[in-house]
Amino acid sequence: MLLVRAVVRPEKKDEVLFELSKAGFHAATVVDVVGRGKQKGIKIGGVVYDEIPKSLIMLAVQDEDKKDVIDVILRTAKTGDKGAYGDGKIFVGPIEEAYTISSGAAKL
Amino acid sequence: MKEIIAFVRMNKTGATKKALVEAGVAGFTASKVMGRGKLVDSPEAIAERKAKLMDMAVDDISETAETEKLVTGFLDGSRLFPRRMFTILAQDDQVSKIVEALMQANRTENRIGDGKIFVLPLYDAVRVRTGEAGEEAL
Repeated sequence: MLLVRAVVRPEKKDEVLFELSKAGFHAATVVDVVGRGKQKGIKIGGVVYDEIPKSLIMLAVQDEDKKDVIDVILRTAKTGDKGAYGDGKIFVGPIEEAYTISSGAAKL
Repeated sequence: MKEIIAFVRMNKTGATKKALVEAGVAGFTASKVMGRGKLVDSPEAIAERKAKLMDMAVDDISETAETEKLVTGFLDGSRLFPRRMFTILAQDDQVSKIVEALMQANRTENRIGDGKIFVLPLYDAVRVRTGEAGEEAL
């Protein structure tokens, strides 16, 4: 099982979640975060903003679903056809065990 | 070393903290998050929950239609629920005890929405105060 963490634009959050649900990945957790990327924030006038608000979407997926999930996020979180700086990043990490609290079962 | 991520109900924060102390790990990081789970496919469970929620919500001030819209939004999966996310760092041999304690503390009669627990591998940890790394840093 894998934990996919995607940092996306807050205004794209709803669209990404909607498309994920349509693709069969309904369960997700969203955290509002601030951060900066490789471009060291944005400079507007003389002011540098390096705490840019983003939404962190986390979801646990089976190994074989990784590609589908990433495709959906890449497609929906992108701005315009080419994409733009600040569209975000996706990180994938391993999950060794997962438990459902209500049943105590060791599965999603 | 393992990283345990648990998603629990907001009103179970206290119980979870207590359970963690009793399980021998007092340290944790928690934050408020929004999330949703698997879509519930049994209409009876949804109807039962809706009736309960509507009962709880109806009073003189709130509008029934508004409340119903909100409750329906929660139940059909189009809204995100508030949840508390606990991140706990633990030694390998503590993991099963902690997971068991978390499950005991967070199980409710509603069942659906009780939460999930994930166990992730953790490669290193460093204590800032002393610079200790690895197992000693936990």
